[in-house]
Amino acid sequence: MSERVGIAELRIARAPKVLKAFGLGSCLAITLYDPGSRLGGLVHSLLPQAGRGELPEPPAKYVDVAIGLMVEELVRAGAEAARLQAKIAGGANMFESAYVTLVDSIGMRNVRSARTALAARHIPLAGEDVGGNRGRTVEFHLASGQLLVYCARENRTKTL
Amino acid sequence: MPFRELNSIQLDALREISTIGMGHAATALSQILEQRIDLRVPKVSIMALDTVPQQLGGAESLMVGITLQILGDARGNIMLLFPQESACRLLSCLLHREERALVLNELNVSALKEVGNILASAYLSAIGNLLRKTLIPSVPLLAYDMAGAVVDYVLIDLSKGGDLALMIETDFVATDCTDRSIRGHFFMLPDPGTLEVFLSALKGDG
Repeated sequence: MSERVGIAELRIARAPKVLKAFGLGSCLAITLYDPGSRLGGLVHSLLPQAGRGELPEPPAKYVDVAIGLMVEELVRAGAEAARLQAKIAGGANMFESAYVTLVDSIGMRNVRSARTALAARHIPLAGEDVGGNRGRTVEFHLASGQLLVYCARENRTKTL
Repeated sequence: MPFRELNSIQLDALREISTIGMGHAATALSQILEQRIDLRVPKVSIMALDTVPQQLGGAESLMVGITLQILGDARGNIMLLFPQESACRLLSCLLHREERALVLNELNVSALKEVGNILASAYLSAIGNLLRKTLIPSVPLLAYDMAGAVVDYVLIDLSKGGDLALMIETDFVATDCTDRSIRGHFFMLPDPGTLEVFLSALKGDG
């Protein structure tokens, strides 16, 4: 019933499936959910956006490309684009150091790219747990649309 | 050079230079700990990026990761991983006091980073001497978290170049003062362009 979504993978599923992504650091998990058809998807992206002229391969590696692809796949499976809601988790900066604070961390760039791509498609962001310096495991419950975010180091779970 | 195109002789050569580098690194660590260290033969593997956390014993197991960039004539990353119990035993040995649970205060973090620094410096200087290349480690960075979260940072650098990671991995086991084992994994992940630097230097035309 529960399915693993690895790095640079995209999965869509229907209730009552559970989609999981383990050990996200600066990677970002993005979920889209249509409460009407109870269809949703989870993507585990690594980089903010595909470079110009770069072949996005696999496409789910890039936050911006992955979001577009997920919307397409969900609509094809029968979801209503106007009902989609998004949640995001991850985008941490695992290795804090004195010299990266001036530059944006890759984690935060992933988060920003997701917010921009979602806003461009008028998809509301219903919840987020991003940034910081902790790893996260996420569990996306298609029955309820809830996203459970677990932090192993602090041993706590948050529900989005 | 795409990792896929490496032949078995080239892979053997990479394994060999890593064995030499790791031998020096282990000697250095063994002198600090005043303990014997056993090395496994290095594994050179080319794998899809998303399988790396699984190779490390599961994306969710808690690990201390110390990472350094390789600078100079070649580029890449070095990652040193200790399961949390091993990190705790390593600290007990280094600081000559019993650390029951892993506490990452300033002293402990600094001690672990120093271990990373010593291992990486010994490793890179041995390989550098062999290949007549200048290889310099950057300042070490440390993270303590789920294995998956700790390693995705190095995967990002690699993933810009492709979807495969070339990982030269050595496991080592030391024993602490009370004969419990300290396990560590040492990885070198060269950037794709760096492979050519290594391979041409091995042929003697570097």
